[in-house]
Order: sequence, then C-alpha cells, then structure tokens
Amino acid sequence: MKVKMISRNPDNYVRETKLQQHKVPRNYDPALHPLEGAREYVRALNATKLDRVFAKPFVCNLSGHRDGVACFGKHPKLLSTLATGAYDGEVRIWDLANRTSVRSFVAHDGYVRGIAYARNGERLFTVGDDKTIKVWSSQAPDVGQEEEPVNTILSRHILHGISHNRKDNSFATCGEVCAIWDEKHNDPIKTLKWGVDTLHTISYNPVETNVLACCASDRSIILYDQREAQPLRKVVLTMKSNKLAWNPMEAFNFTVANEDCNLYTFDTRKLRTPLKVHFDHVSAVTDVDYAPTGQEFVSASYDKTVRIYNAHQSHSRDIYHTKRMQHVVCVAWSLDNRYIFSGSDEMNVRMWKANASEKLGIIRPRERANFNYQEALKEKYAAHPQIKRIARHRQVPRHVLNAQRKMRMVKDKELVKEANVRKHSKKGKVPFVSEKKKHVLREDV
Amino acid sequence: MSDDEEQYNPAAHKKLLQAIGNLGNVQHIRKSTRDERQPQQDEFQLFKSAKSTQHAPKAVGLNDLVQILRTSKHIETGKKLKNVHSTKKVLEKPLEKPAADRIKRTIGYEGVKKKLGRWDAVVAKQRSAETQIFPKPTETIYVNTAAHAKALQTSIKSDLGKELEASNKKLRELRKAQIGDNTDEKALAQQEREMLQKKMTRDELYARRRELAYLKMRESQKSAKARMQNKIKSKKYHKLQKRQKILEQMKEFELLQKTNPEAALEKLDALEKSRVMERASLRHKNTGTWAKNLQVRAKYDKDVRKDLAEQLAVSRQLTEKKLDTDSEDEKATKKMDPNEQEDYDPMNPWMKSKSAAQAAPQQSAEEESNWRKYWTERNENEKLLAEHCAEIKEVEKQQKVQKAKKQSLEKPIKKKKKPKAVVENGWLVEEVETPVKVKSIDEIFEQHDENIHDRISKKLAKLRKQAEKLKEPTKKSKKPKKERDELKNLKDLTFKKTKQRVEIDEPLNQEEITPKLAAQTAGDLTKSDEKPTETTQTAVTAIDPKNVTTITWKQTMRSSDAMNNALAEDDAAEYDEADAAAERQLTISQAFEDDDIIADFNKDKTKDSELKNTELQLAMPGWGSWAGAGISQKVINRRNKRLLLKLAAPEKRRDDNKDNLYINETTSKQARGHMVSSIPFPFKSLADYEASIRAPIGRNFVPETAFRMLTRPAIITRKGQVIEPMDESELLKPERRLRHIVDRRIKRLQEADKAK
Repeated sequence: MKVKMISRNPDNYVRETKLQQHKVPRNYDPALHPLEGAREYVRALNATKLDRVFAKPFVCNLSGHRDGVACFGKHPKLLSTLATGAYDGEVRIWDLANRTSVRSFVAHDGYVRGIAYARNGERLFTVGDDKTIKVWSSQAPDVGQEEEPVNTILSRHILHGISHNRKDNSFATCGEVCAIWDEKHNDPIKTLKWGVDTLHTISYNPVETNVLACCASDRSIILYDQREAQPLRKVVLTMKSNKLAWNPMEAFNFTVANEDCNLYTFDTRKLRTPLKVHFDHVSAVTDVDYAPTGQEFVSASYDKTVRIYNAHQSHSRDIYHTKRMQHVVCVAWSLDNRYIFSGSDEMNVRMWKANASEKLGIIRPRERANFNYQEALKEKYAAHPQIKRIARHRQVPRHVLNAQRKMRMVKDKELVKEANVRKHSKKGKVPFVSEKKKHVLREDV
Repeated sequence: MSDDEEQYNPAAHKKLLQAIGNLGNVQHIRKSTRDERQPQQDEFQLFKSAKSTQHAPKAVGLNDLVQILRTSKHIETGKKLKNVHSTKKVLEKPLEKPAADRIKRTIGYEGVKKKLGRWDAVVAKQRSAETQIFPKPTETIYVNTAAHAKALQTSIKSDLGKELEASNKKLRELRKAQIGDNTDEKALAQQEREMLQKKMTRDELYARRRELAYLKMRESQKSAKARMQNKIKSKKYHKLQKRQKILEQMKEFELLQKTNPEAALEKLDALEKSRVMERASLRHKNTGTWAKNLQVRAKYDKDVRKDLAEQLAVSRQLTEKKLDTDSEDEKATKKMDPNEQEDYDPMNPWMKSKSAAQAAPQQSAEEESNWRKYWTERNENEKLLAEHCAEIKEVEKQQKVQKAKKQSLEKPIKKKKKPKAVVENGWLVEEVETPVKVKSIDEIFEQHDENIHDRISKKLAKLRKQAEKLKEPTKKSKKPKKERDELKNLKDLTFKKTKQRVEIDEPLNQEEITPKLAAQTAGDLTKSDEKPTETTQTAVTAIDPKNVTTITWKQTMRSSDAMNNALAEDDAAEYDEADAAAERQLTISQAFEDDDIIADFNKDKTKDSELKNTELQLAMPGWGSWAGAGISQKVINRRNKRLLLKLAAPEKRRDDNKDNLYINETTSKQARGHMVSSIPFPFKSLADYEASIRAPIGRNFVPETAFRMLTRPAIITRKGQVIEPMDESELLKPERRLRHIVDRRIKRLQEADKAK
C-alpha cells in the first residue's frame, strides 16, 4: 500500500528564536481573497464594539480637599505632580503615580484663585482673594518645619488669576488690572488697563510668549503684549467668557469657555468671527484646557460633565461624567497627552484617561500593531452607519438629556420664528446670519 | 557785537524797549496772585500787571518784533528773524489721548499679527502631516562632557593622515640635506609672489592713464550726443526715428512669435499699451501750434486744408475703438483679395510691393528697412511701365503715340481708383496717375507706414484671439475679490491631505442611563434614529454594498505599487491625447444606446435568474490530485460529477409574468442597515470615497510593510514624556533625519513619486 504523506522542510516553518515572528507564506493575490472587504468590515465592527466595551475612562479619585476645588497648576516638568487649590484657601500637591497628597498647606484667606508653576518647576505661585501673590518652593519642607511661602507679594489690586511665561521669568496676574511681574521684583513691571473692572482669567501664549489674553467681566476677551504699553485688542461676545486656553501647537489659535454653553475657537488675527463654535454643553462652560498635541481640548461645565473636543470640530467626541461628580470647576490635560484631571464642587479631583478605551500599562509591539490596525479600521469605516452608531453612542445623565431637549426646543422655536419673520418681511431685510457671527458683538480697537 | 556797543545809543534803545513794551497795549486788570511778598496789598485784590505783555491775551507775535526792528537799525536781524520764522515748521499739536492710544493699540496688534503669521507654514505643514510624533524631535546636540569621554573630533584629517604628512615632511628635509640644497623654501615662495605682482613701469602707467582719459571723453561725447538728440526739433527726423523703431519692434515681434510665443504675447501687450497711450494722449488733433498756424492759412490755401484734414483723419484712426478697426481690417482684407486679382497691375509699384510682401514677408521687412533698395526697384518699375506703354501702343495702333499712351493709361487706373481708396484710407491715388512723376519722400514713407500698420493690426488681431483663448481659463479661476482675509496666507500654505480621513462632526447619540440597558436588544439599538448630519454634504448617492464588500481587485489600485501607477498614468496620458475625439463620439452613441429599455430590462431579469439557477461546481483545482498531473480525464470527470452541487428545481421569479416589474431578489434588508447612504465629509466624489474603502489594510491582504504603513496612527506620543509646546526652533528647522524605518520608507516612496 502506498502511503501518501506530506513532508516539509522544518527550516521553512520553525523559528530560529522565539522572538522571531512566524513566517507565514502568503499569497496576496486579491483574486484569492474575495471577501477581504467584508472581513475588514466585520473586524472594524468588532473593534468598535470592543472599544465601547473597554471604554472605562475613570482612573481614580483624589480626595483630601475640604472644600470645592477651584484651580489647577500643572508642573511643567514632572508628569506625576499636580497642584490644586480649593475654595478654603488650601493648596494640595498630589503625587499622581501613587494617588496621594504629598503636601497640603493653607495658602490664602478665602479662595485660591490661581496656581502657576515657574518655568523650571522649582517655584509655585498662588494668588488668592486676600490680594496676595505667594511664592512657594516646590520642595516640601523638612520634617518638623512649617510650610512657609518663600515670598509674599502684596498687590494693590484684587487678583483673580495668574499665568507664568513659559520662556522667561515674568508672570502676569489679572484682577482689576492686568499686571506683568518679574520674579525678582515685588512691584509689577507694568500694568495694563482698558476700562474694565474685572478680569477673570489670564493666559500666556505658550508659543509666542509675549502675547497674553484675558477674559473680562464686560463679556470681552482682551489681548495684550507684555512689551507694549497698551493692550492690543478687545473682542466682545454675547456672554461672559470664563476661561481661555491657547493652542500649544498653533500659536495663533485660542479657545474660550463661554457662559452661553458654547466654546469658541478664535484665530488671533481674525477676531471678528470665531473659527469654530463648539456646541454640546448644556450649561455654562467653566474651564477649558488644550491637549499638549494641540489637536484636542477638554472642557468642564456647570452641567456636571467633562467633554472632549477635536479642536477643529464643533461637536464633542466624548463625554465624561460620574454620578457623584458635581459642577466641574476646573479641568486640565496632562502633559503626556494621556490623562485628564477634573476638579469639581464636591471637593474631589478626578483623573480620567484622555482616550476612554486605551489600555494602561505596558503594550507589547505586536499588541501595539493590533491596536493600530483596529484604530485604522475604525477610522476607515467610520462613516458606516452601524459603526458610527456604536462608536458615538453614550449614556448621559437624565438632567443633561432634559436640558438638551429643552435647548433644542428653544433653538427650534427661534429658528421657526426667524423663518416666519423672514417670510413676512421684505426680501433681504432679515438676512441669514451664520452661527459663527451671531456670538461676536464687536471688535474694539 | 563790538560795533553795536560802540554805537550804543541809550535813548534809542529805551525807545525800542518801550515800543516792545507797548505792543500789547491793552490794559488788563486781573486778580493778584500772592506769589511773593509784597509790602502793599490792593484793597480790591486787583492789579494792573506791569509785565502784562507776558500774560496778555494777545501775545507778541514775531511779526511785531520784526516791524520794530525794521524801523531801527537792526534791519538785518529782523530779516533773519523773519526767515527763521518762515522756514521753521511748527510741531503739530499732539493727538488726544484716546486717539493716540487707539493708534498705539492698532500698531501693537499689527505687530503681533505679523509675529503670529510666522507660524503659518509650520502649522499648515503640521495639519497636513499624515503622522505627527510628539514630543517634537528636537535638534539639540548633546555632547558628553565627562572627563573620560573621548574628545570631540574637529579635524577632517585622520590621525593616520596627519602622521603621514609629518613623515613626508621629514623625508623631504632629509633628502634636501643629502643633496646639500640649503635654499630657504619660504624665501623662494616670497620671490615667486613678487614676480607675479610685478610693478607697472612708467610708460605703462602713462598708457593706462591715456586709455582712461579716452574712455572718459567717449563717455562724455556720447552723453552730449544723446542730449542733443533729445533736443532735435525736426519733425522729419522724429518721423524717421519713429518708423525705425516700429520696424525694429516688428522684426523683434516676428522673431519672438516664432521662438517664444508667450514673450510675443507680452510684447503684443506692450505694443497695445503704447497704442493706447497714444490714443489717450490724443496727439494728431489740430490743436498743436503747427496746426494752429496752418489754420490761419487754411482759408486761402488748398494744400494746407488737405494737410489738416489728413491730420484729423490720423487722429480719428488713432482714437477709434480697436475692435471695430479690426473687424474693418478683416473686411478690408477680404475685399482686397478679389480686388487684387481683378486689378493687379504690374505698373503699380504699390501693388507689386504688396504682393511681394505677401509672398515673402521676411524679405519685405528687409526691403522696408532699406529705402534705397526700394528706390532702385521703383526705377525698374518705371522701365516696365515704359515697355507696357509700348505694347499698348502697338495693340491700339493709334497715330499720336504720346496722347494714346496717356489715355490708355488713364482708363485702367481710374477703374481701380475706388477700391484703392477703400483699401488704404488716407492714400490719394492721384499720384499714381502720373507714375513718372517722382513722389515726395514723405509720401513714400507714409505709404510704407500704412503697410506696416496694416500688418501690425492683422497680427494684433490674430494674437488677440490667441490671447483671449489663453485668458479664458484664468478668468474662470479668479474669484471675485473679497475683503482682506487675514488667514489667506495660512489657507494658501495648506497642502492637500494625502490621506483623507472621514471626519464625523455630529453630536453623540446620547441616551439616558437606565438600569434596563442590559435588557435592550440589538434590534432596539438600531431603532435609535440618527440625526441627520449637519456637515455639508455635496452629493447624496447610495453606495452599493457590493461595490464596497466584494471587490474586483485591480493592480493599479494598490497604492504601494508605484510602477503600475506610473504605467497607468502613461496610458491615461496617451489616451487623453489620441482618443479624446473618439470618446466624444462614443458618448453620443452611448446616449442613444439604451433606447430599447424594455428589452434591456428583460435581459437583466433572465440574467439574474440564470445566475440564480446555475449548478455549482465544488471541485477545486488541485484538490484530490495529490500525485500531480496526468490523471486520466475519465477519472477527473467522474470526480467532478460527484462534486457538482445540484440545486433544487429552479424557482420562479417573483416578477416572472410581470413585464414591467423588476424585483431585485438579491438585496437584503439586513444589509441595508450597514450601507452608507451619503458621501461623508471631506470626500467630494463617490469614486474617491469608494477608493478609500476599497483598498484593504489588513495583514492578511497586504504585505507586512504595507500593513505597517497603512495602520500608522495619526498621532504618536510616548509614555512618560512631557510634550513641550511648539518651539521657535521649529521655524528654522532643517528637515529632520528620519529615525523610524517606516518613516524612511514612506519618504522614499514619496520621493519616487515626485521623481516621476
């Protein structure tokens, strides 16, 4: 009897080392893969589903504050360090890797309004309601020693915010006036004023470090140059802006968090119309921070949610919320583009993953390749209805849904009204105004 | 000063002071200000200030002072003062503070705008990049400064090279010593240098100076000549000059037209412009001094009248709208052709020259430049004319030879008078009547001028047509001008993205958190209606899932296959050139192809059912034939028979006996939910989107390297590294050396693409 047997050379299929990948002889002739499209589609569908399955963005909760969290300070060099200030004047420094509070001290009477690290991260500046700027060392005091500020500067004006220049030793505060300070002097180098009583927030441009911007109580955003004797320009929106963040990769773009539930991205050179209006929040937006890649930003809102936006799109890509999280006051994006921190009224600081379904921990190269493939597939088939539906499906709190419904109703009503008015008035008398142009009242020179 | 002191007259001086003091001679009573101690105070606290001139409402003007000084002996000083006053500019009053601040702010803002504008290119590049790596790779060079570190190598020469050099030097010296040569090399070199830098001799210096002087003289002569030429008033001279210029331009233009049509177009524009300028300047009107002088005489002199009329005609011609003249020219040329055939006369020098010009335009150009040659030709013509006259004489056989000749000449010439006048306006044919008579050189010039004008206008017309053709596409591309766009630079700098990605910019499908969620079935989920997309979608087209899922693979679609792409492009190019016309015809025939729609319909139907009811052959090539080829056909057939999948009896189609109905039985409702109903943003055509979907990216379908390239994420970040904001060094950064192998491969591919 003849025995039929397949014999193969083991050299063709046995690996030399275990690190070597299996050699798979493969014929890529497309005629042999008639179902490749269908297979990829199913893979994309599965990847999307898995993405939602693993979407667990919440990392940890940092508790310790005894009052609502008011502001954040990101350490420019250390990723595991975060400073937070509370309504009771307490400042806490957190070790994020161990999820513990390393230091805590009462810095001010009343609110801590702003925290900023010096550019090398060795000093910490805090401003509070007691009209003082306090400078703290980043190093914790020795055991037995009390926490004491390195320097205390008494300001003549009320202070509402602070921002440190990224490239030199100057920092700026806002309040009644915008003041530019030098680290080595106790008096401001310059005060810039433009007929406004209160400036809420101030932010240095991280790229063109001479430029800075303030949000004022008269619903305006004011641009400054720290070398000029005068402010540069003012743009007035329909409602007050709460926070301002510059894009760290695109020097001329910044985004403001507005009281009217929207965020606006502006180009500094063309303030008349915003580049993009970012919708989706249902209550006042309280804070905004850019990802260090400049591609995305995160916003915190009074509606108890945190949303993540693509910087060039008008709708959010993700929404984070938990049952216990109250009005979110401040938000920050970590400098390695992985995490998001949110501080809220109910005294907690929360840490979230920037990408909800990202795997934490070590990722082996083959795993990485697979993740990349899944991402590519999801992107490729993003417009397919089933995939889109699954990828963009979110559970949100009822109050958000209700508010959304209400807002939509109001908007629809306004649209109908406008259409009716237009219908019954002379042609061209009621012009179509784009959504972008509606929100900017004027640009002052 | 000393003179003044000598002539010091106290009385006069006092008078002067008094006069100055009286200038503001209004009495001012003011409240006293108690700025210094005074022994007496007025009871009403009023006082008349002694130095009221200082505080007078009418301050002392400089003019007053000057007036006084003029009366005294200080006239010079007065003049000086006056001069100073008139020449010095008074500084303007500074702006009000708000206005000044506004200006400052504007300037500051402009500065910042400019500063921020620097980032346009960087940002545009970054936005269009397929993959961005963070943190940005910096160009910082790290040097190991530790004590045990190897010293930084700065010299290009290697150690071995240096050693070799030293040993060579030593060797040479040794050899020298052996020979006994003790000349100093340095001294030799010095000598050599001196030899090269030899000093000039005295004669040479003189010669050089003379040469320079000559050059200078030539230069001054030339400049003087140029100045003189500019001052020449002779009309004739200028006329000649102008003609020469025109001729030169014509020549240049013709040459350009052959060699560089674009430049010719430009030249044409320039010519046109000059014409327009002339039109605008409206010379040739009868308003110049020459014309005015003539007008006085015009009443009495017929010739003068004629001259003036001519001048006016010229002006009319110049100020005419160009398009009209063109059309006229064309008409004229058309008319001319039959005329020329009709009354071509060898006697007529103008006609001949014209025909010659038509036959060989280049030759004629040469002729025109050479007037003398023209004259010799004319003389020849006269001879011809004489011969012609003789012939006529013989034919007619008249007695009085001279008279007959004249009469015979008159008739044909008179015939062509009218058409001639039509063709060449402004040219009087009277002269031709008496061809023997020598014409004035002016007239000849004029004639030629006209010829040239004619030709220029023709050429202009032709070229204008070409130009218009060229201009049309540019006009289309130009958009109506809007207000200044601040972001124009950024927009201009943006590249087209090589890899388009679907952007879904719509609100999340939000749903309330409910505990019952787990119980919800997938069916329920599908019900949740999707809001219509807010992004602008240009075209809404249903995409057949078959096109998306089952693919007829084409090699050309493979992005990695550069070679095939190139071939395809070449083919396409050839196709474009050759078959464009054929295609146009095809499209017409295609349009009428589907006339018999009903038959087509039925054909589709039968085809469908045929497909559905065919038997499936399950045998696969190679299956079962383990021993290789050479199995008898009988065995194969038997086996194939066994493997033939027989289906149930053919089903009837649902639309079998409904002629006008076609029910597609292959579609499924389930699949419909998975199909894309509209082209997603930013894709603009169905073909683009399908192409992006069609190419597989998986490991199973493309080679490993391609897989890595296709699945590269858009943003790569590294764990545990701080991403610094954009740095200024990015503005001046040279192209980064790519470290990653995939990056390098991509770059190589791109370069290969560019090379093609």
